[in-house]
Amino acid sequence: MPEKHINCRGMQCPGPIVTLFKEIKTLEPGDIITIEVTDFGFKKDINAWCKKTGNELLSLEEKDNVITAKIKKT
Amino acid sequence: MKNILVIGAVAAGTKAASKARRENMDMNVTVLTRDEYISYAGCGLPYYIGDVIKSKDELLVKTPEAFKKEFDIDVLTHHEAIDILPEAKKVVAKDLKTDKIKEFKYDKLILATGASPFVPPIKGVELNNIFTLRTVSEAIKIKQLINTGKVKNAVVVGGGFIGLEVAENLTERGIKTAVVELLDHVLPMYDKEMALLVQNELMEHGVDVITGEAVEAFEGDSDGNVKYAVTPSKKIPADMVIMSVGVRPNTELAQKAGIELGDTRAIKVNHNMETNIEDIYAVGDCAENINLITGKPAWFPMGSTSNKTGRIAAINLFAENAERDELRGVLGTNVVKVFNMNAAKTGLTEREAVKEGFDVETVIVPADDRAHYYPGYKKIVTKLIADRKSHKVLGAQIVGEGVVDKPIDIIAAAITFGARVDDLAKLDLAYAPPFSSAMSSTITTANVWLNKVADKVKGISPIEAHEKLSDKNVMFIDIRAEEEYMVKTIPGAVNIPKGRLKKELKDTPKDREIILICNVGKNAYLAYLTLKHMGFEKAAILEGGINAYPYELQ
Repeated sequence: MPEKHINCRGMQCPGPIVTLFKEIKTLEPGDIITIEVTDFGFKKDINAWCKKTGNELLSLEEKDNVITAKIKKT
Repeated sequence: MKNILVIGAVAAGTKAASKARRENMDMNVTVLTRDEYISYAGCGLPYYIGDVIKSKDELLVKTPEAFKKEFDIDVLTHHEAIDILPEAKKVVAKDLKTDKIKEFKYDKLILATGASPFVPPIKGVELNNIFTLRTVSEAIKIKQLINTGKVKNAVVVGGGFIGLEVAENLTERGIKTAVVELLDHVLPMYDKEMALLVQNELMEHGVDVITGEAVEAFEGDSDGNVKYAVTPSKKIPADMVIMSVGVRPNTELAQKAGIELGDTRAIKVNHNMETNIEDIYAVGDCAENINLITGKPAWFPMGSTSNKTGRIAAINLFAENAERDELRGVLGTNVVKVFNMNAAKTGLTEREAVKEGFDVETVIVPADDRAHYYPGYKKIVTKLIADRKSHKVLGAQIVGEGVVDKPIDIIAAAITFGARVDDLAKLDLAYAPPFSSAMSSTITTANVWLNKVADKVKGISPIEAHEKLSDKNVMFIDIRAEEEYMVKTIPGAVNIPKGRLKKELKDTPKDREIILICNVGKNAYLAYLTLKHMGFEKAAILEGGINAYPYELQ
């Protein structure tokens, strides 16, 4: 399964969510995308986004002030 | 040899005694306290029961032995002062261990009798495992009970600082906790929309928050242990209850001796900490304060003020007039951490400022606490309260995951020196990416306030916006990108990204009331200018945007 990694560090909202939208459109169902973000508002947003779009949030981690979300396109 | 006598040995009492010793090396300094523990970090007690602080010894700043050895101060624990005889200049005290009555002569007397938790006469309040949290002894009992593992559910009555700190610490220990607050929001001393941001944080961490209700009764089991707290709408399971509805100044001893109380029912003192009776001073939580902004009596039982008043009284005991120290007033500056959220306040709230008759204007401005490209930056929301006519800064509240104590201290300093919002906007503040933004949150907030007062923008508060949700004549427009709108918006808002406003609103009547929504208010301000240009008469922006909106989003 292809995995894609996108770096959204330094981006303020809406940067990360808009980028994620754009990138996920290029993927096939089952593909995995990892996104790195430094905007802490993203933590809540990504949960709501996955719920609404039906994509699966595989993991959400916070380390050294960077939030890493792993999402599976459905 | 002259005698300096201090009653009370926590923050203000020990500070006064230590400073009195440094000022007067040739006198006897004696401290009486009814408690076993002295000079302890009362503010650390919630973290002790939460096990963030492991041992009670870490809370004890100094022992009686250390006071004797280092400062030659006699601290007599288990000694309860029962009478002050101002004519004879004596204090009568009871040795609680031997029941012996003793007399202590004084040339100067400092009262630091503190404050005690207020426990309302609720039915069942005498049941086991219902506590207040003010002293080390109480904290030890609470921690012992938690350590038995029998406390699954706890109820905290009162949503002030101690209540919320306790709720966090109990939750961290795996106890399902509910907070019951009589007002319609936690942190009663904050304005509602700011306090609700903290309340949301509590709920996100699993704390049940019940507001606008009082506990009417406690119910127990056959062993006399508390089992439930009962409110008009709920019966909340409770293996333990912490009563934190507030504290009252301990003034009984002073009153008996004819010492005058102030409007706040704390001991009335002048700027030099003198009571109405000669050679008797009052310091710390038992003494009244003056609000620096209104000049009126106020009562802020805070450790930060206690230490200052203790020091001032000690300096003044034998000082010549020119050397006397004074406290002109306080702002009630405070800060609290609730899970990942920090909240700080200084000066007047909006409600207080209105009540005092100021021509109040406020703004709510979210900002990052440091450069947005430097990892680790977090959001904070600043509410600034100032007078329209004079532009004088009256107060501020700051809430968020980021650093709040620095900006609140900046504003506290500004108010102390009589600053106008214009001064705040021009402060030369320290900046480098790991610390702040080139335009710090404080400066941005001041500029937004000035824009609003100059009628460059019309804003409405989150509370007003919330009240208008059901008003069909009001159009809520979320001007952010579709992707953001989809994640969360205000219920009922339509999405018109700002680039499409002109086109999509061209047929809308110009007298339609419109509220523009973005994340922080900045893009809404731009959109507002567009709408103004189009001729819309009743456009406004949602102040603080989605970031500061404390109500339900969808």
